[in-house]
Amino acid sequence: MKKSLLFVAIGLLFLAGALSAGKVEAAPSVEEIVDKANLAAYYAGDDGRSDVRMTITDGQGRTRNREFVILRKDIKDGGEQRFYVYFEKPGDVRKMVFMVHKFIGRDDDRWMYLAKLDLVKRIAASDKRTSFVGSHFFYEDVSGRGVDEDRHELIEETDSHYVVKNTPKLPGEVEFSSYTVWIDKETFLPTKAEYLDKEARPYREVEALETETIQGLPTVTKSQVRDLRSGGDTVSEFKNIKYDIGLEEDIFTERYLRRPPRVVRR
Amino acid sequence: MKINSIIGFSIRNPKTVTAALVVCTLLLASLMVKVRVDTDPENMLREDEPVRVFHNQVKEEFDLHDFVVLGVVNEQDPAGIFNVESLTRVHELTEFVRNMHAEDDPDKRVVSRNMIAPGTVDAIEQAGLGQVSFDWLMKSPPTDAEEVERIRQLAMNNPLLKGTLVSEDERAMGIYIPVSEKDFAAEVRLRLLGKIETYDKSNGDQFYITGLPVAEDTFGKEMFVQMAVSAPLAMLAIFLLMLVFFRQVKMIISPMIVAMMSVLCTMGLLIGTGNTLHIMSSMIPIFLMPIAVVDSIHILSEFFDNYRTIGDRRKTLEHVMGHLFMPMLYTSLTSAAGFASLALTPIPPVQAFGIFVAIGIMLAWLFTIVFVPAYIMLLKEESLAGFGVSKTTSGTIHRGLSAFLKWIGAFTYRRAKFILIMTLAVLVAAGYGIGMIRVNDNPVKWFSKDHSIRVADRVLNSHFGGTYEAYLVLDSEIEELDGAGAVDWFGQGLDRLTDEGVDQQVVDRARDVLAGESGAGSTATLLENLRTVWEDEMFAADDAGYESWGDVVNLLDRFSNRAQVFKRPEVLEYLRGLEEHLVENSEVGKSNSVVDVVRKVYQELYEGNEEYYRIPDSIGGVAETLITFQNSHKPEDLWHFVTPDYRKANLWIQLREGDNQVMQEVIDTVDRYFAANPPPVTLNHQWAGLTYLNVAWQDKMVFGMRDAFLGSFVIVFLMMTVLFRSPVWGLLAMVPLSVTIAFIYGLIGFIGKDYDMPVAILSSLTLGLAVDFAIHFLERSRATYRKTGSWKAAVGEMFEEPARAISRNVIVIAVGFTPLLAAPLVPYQTVGIFLASIMAISGFATILILPSLLTVFESSVFRKLKQ
Repeated sequence: MKKSLLFVAIGLLFLAGALSAGKVEAAPSVEEIVDKANLAAYYAGDDGRSDVRMTITDGQGRTRNREFVILRKDIKDGGEQRFYVYFEKPGDVRKMVFMVHKFIGRDDDRWMYLAKLDLVKRIAASDKRTSFVGSHFFYEDVSGRGVDEDRHELIEETDSHYVVKNTPKLPGEVEFSSYTVWIDKETFLPTKAEYLDKEARPYREVEALETETIQGLPTVTKSQVRDLRSGGDTVSEFKNIKYDIGLEEDIFTERYLRRPPRVVRR
Repeated sequence: MKINSIIGFSIRNPKTVTAALVVCTLLLASLMVKVRVDTDPENMLREDEPVRVFHNQVKEEFDLHDFVVLGVVNEQDPAGIFNVESLTRVHELTEFVRNMHAEDDPDKRVVSRNMIAPGTVDAIEQAGLGQVSFDWLMKSPPTDAEEVERIRQLAMNNPLLKGTLVSEDERAMGIYIPVSEKDFAAEVRLRLLGKIETYDKSNGDQFYITGLPVAEDTFGKEMFVQMAVSAPLAMLAIFLLMLVFFRQVKMIISPMIVAMMSVLCTMGLLIGTGNTLHIMSSMIPIFLMPIAVVDSIHILSEFFDNYRTIGDRRKTLEHVMGHLFMPMLYTSLTSAAGFASLALTPIPPVQAFGIFVAIGIMLAWLFTIVFVPAYIMLLKEESLAGFGVSKTTSGTIHRGLSAFLKWIGAFTYRRAKFILIMTLAVLVAAGYGIGMIRVNDNPVKWFSKDHSIRVADRVLNSHFGGTYEAYLVLDSEIEELDGAGAVDWFGQGLDRLTDEGVDQQVVDRARDVLAGESGAGSTATLLENLRTVWEDEMFAADDAGYESWGDVVNLLDRFSNRAQVFKRPEVLEYLRGLEEHLVENSEVGKSNSVVDVVRKVYQELYEGNEEYYRIPDSIGGVAETLITFQNSHKPEDLWHFVTPDYRKANLWIQLREGDNQVMQEVIDTVDRYFAANPPPVTLNHQWAGLTYLNVAWQDKMVFGMRDAFLGSFVIVFLMMTVLFRSPVWGLLAMVPLSVTIAFIYGLIGFIGKDYDMPVAILSSLTLGLAVDFAIHFLERSRATYRKTGSWKAAVGEMFEEPARAISRNVIVIAVGFTPLLAAPLVPYQTVGIFLASIMAISGFATILILPSLLTVFESSVFRKLKQ
């Protein structure tokens, strides 16, 4: 459980709070906060699905949409996970699939299926801080950033939030110098993250805009990432969220890339 | 007489007049502190000029910035630029420059997100069996040969980078530094030069910085130095020459003061009225000075000649001023008219230039008639004692000149017809030369050949696809479909689904639905109805049916996206053809577009197999290629080449030469290609980019100048006709300047000097100066003829004092501007050379052609005077 993934992308995925924070007596340590937030953000339920509508807006206010269904299955809470992303829009890339096998302690496996070209490609995990299908979200926001990759520091505790500053252990690997996350004390959902560039200027913000409780789990239903340099942003809205629907593990195999499972149907 | 009352006032109250002038000058000059420099040639076009509006719109729409190009070249290392040390420096310089911004203004900065450098571009690469990866080409400097080799291969195998980031010969690497404002470019260059200074270059690294924004901005900065050096030097030269002719420091100080006051007041007025100091207006002092001293020289000349005989300076002055007032007024008015005509050009900086030179000329005239007499009155009478012309003691130069002029005078009388025939011959040759004129300009060539920017321009353009950018924007037009048209479209779409192997039963059912809705009327209603029914069918279907119905429903999305023409393979194929044609048939070094992105990614999707370096066969294939690209670090790079709605595409054209003529050729090549190869959909094409803008304003300038010149020619002719009260004499006055202009421009055509901005402006100067000589000469010819009654007798006298005055003027100004030849900035050299030539030629034209004409046509032109 120690090695888990961080909540960097507040709610790119349908994020839910697996834990209720109600009964914390003493102030938790920063490691506890980070671990709980990780679970709340990435490991709600044993599995789940959601329809996602992404609106990408560039600095000039031009927008583009992506619509996809995302499936998730936890192999182990706080540990290994599977993701399956099935694209419906734009229409000309319909049936495109992204699949991720998330591991702890080693690089994730990633696949991409291009339906029109009928081509399955593995994507090397060398750098996860690349764009997710042209949006302002990163791949790392999908599969999560390893908790162990940063040093954590509780820099502030407000009435409602823990404020944690995270500094990368290998600064050469990433484009930020640090990022600060606001974690809700009740739900342990990260509600905001601010990234500072190498000159310590804020350049990127991720924020949970709306949360709901679904099947008893606090869940981010609308989130936004803002690119402060270009002025662009991406908003993700989550609909039809269902937890614990009993997803089979074999859905998350290459075989299902070409023939999407029934569960992606709306 | 009113005229004399003004002069009389200044003769009577020299101190008051002088004090008033000094105060006026200081007040106006103090406005100069408000100076705002504008070195942007873009401002040659009005802000609302469509070409410029479009240029800015394109820059915004495609998120483009003007580039400073830093090239690191290594000719010494056997591996060229691909060695650890050079690449480490490339990395260091990238980091050094990427967050640079102006100290006082954080908005003036390097646009790091659009930088093209090994550390800021993505490389799509094969990463083991069936894997692709997106990684920075050079995230950190390489530490060993293996890493260097990886970078080399990635860069050389990427058509988007080869020729742009890395030279094909592997000797040079280019860092393209976009700047938010062009006027930050010079500072970026200087700061980079400072950093580069600290390098030990023994490994053979050489560093070059160029790019149009650098050239333009640096030119502006150097222009100031140039003004501060050239103008005083010219002053000094004029001063020394006058000293030779007049030998009286005290006297010749007055023209210098007149020139100084005119320049200061004019510049003060220019700046005070809110005008920027532009490349054009920076030349005002240089244009104004010769004109400002001319009148004073005439006064001094006459004063010299008469002071001895009259003896009293007041009387001498009254005599001289009475005599010269009208010619001086007219010469000033004509010169001013010549320049004021530039206000008719459609180019704002040229308008300001013309208007303020005209104002300056009139100010100079005013200062001359008010101040010069006052100044002479302020001198102590005894200091004038040894003053005045003494034909026996005026030195060898004077004697030589007099003898020469005498010979000329006789020659024009004896060989009048010969001179006129020669003139005609010159005119014919000049006409031929003018036909050969090459209209061309290039801001980089405003620097002399050995300037580091020129050198960088040469070196980098020999290695790369080109450091000059132009953008060819293609805009598609898709017709709106009405209800019936949309029904047809969906019918064809369903046919395609059959071809794609979608379940025939589902397609047939969908077709029935379509048939049922074909009477829906508007397209919007049709789409809404189809969506409702088709989606209902989809949700009701079993698993296999769901998928097929999904394909049908997807047609709705494809319908609304049918305007995304730059995803269509046949359109991309057309672009590819155009780009290849350009690279093969013009000076285009490289063309970058969405086509390169699509082909490169497609190839990498198929294990880097070269056979797949092509455009996919279907829209879907293109779309998937494009979305794959968007999984990189910089998906927004795509939007430099297409708009997100895929209706407009941008071809980033790199040119190795920035000459307007080269750009014009490329424009023509594109036009011809479009004419000969109709695109598969309606595509409008339009140009943007700095290199193109230069062509646009040049066109305006050439025709604007021509019209302005013709306009002022007519005005000056009318003024001459009024002055001489005879159209024939008016015409005569136009002869020397016409010959001079024909000669100068013919010469420009023959020697192949480009007709550029300074050359264009010179036509106005010629008009202004050359007519002066003609006025003085003709005015005196008439006066002398009246006295002598025959031209033969008059000639001798004309080639005494009047010809001498003209010759002095010619020599003073011609030689006075030779210091400009030493300028490191080419436009100043051009102005220097041509000012000198104009003076010399128009002087010769006046004293050769006018007397010859008067000789040949004596009976008709002097008829009135005889009566």
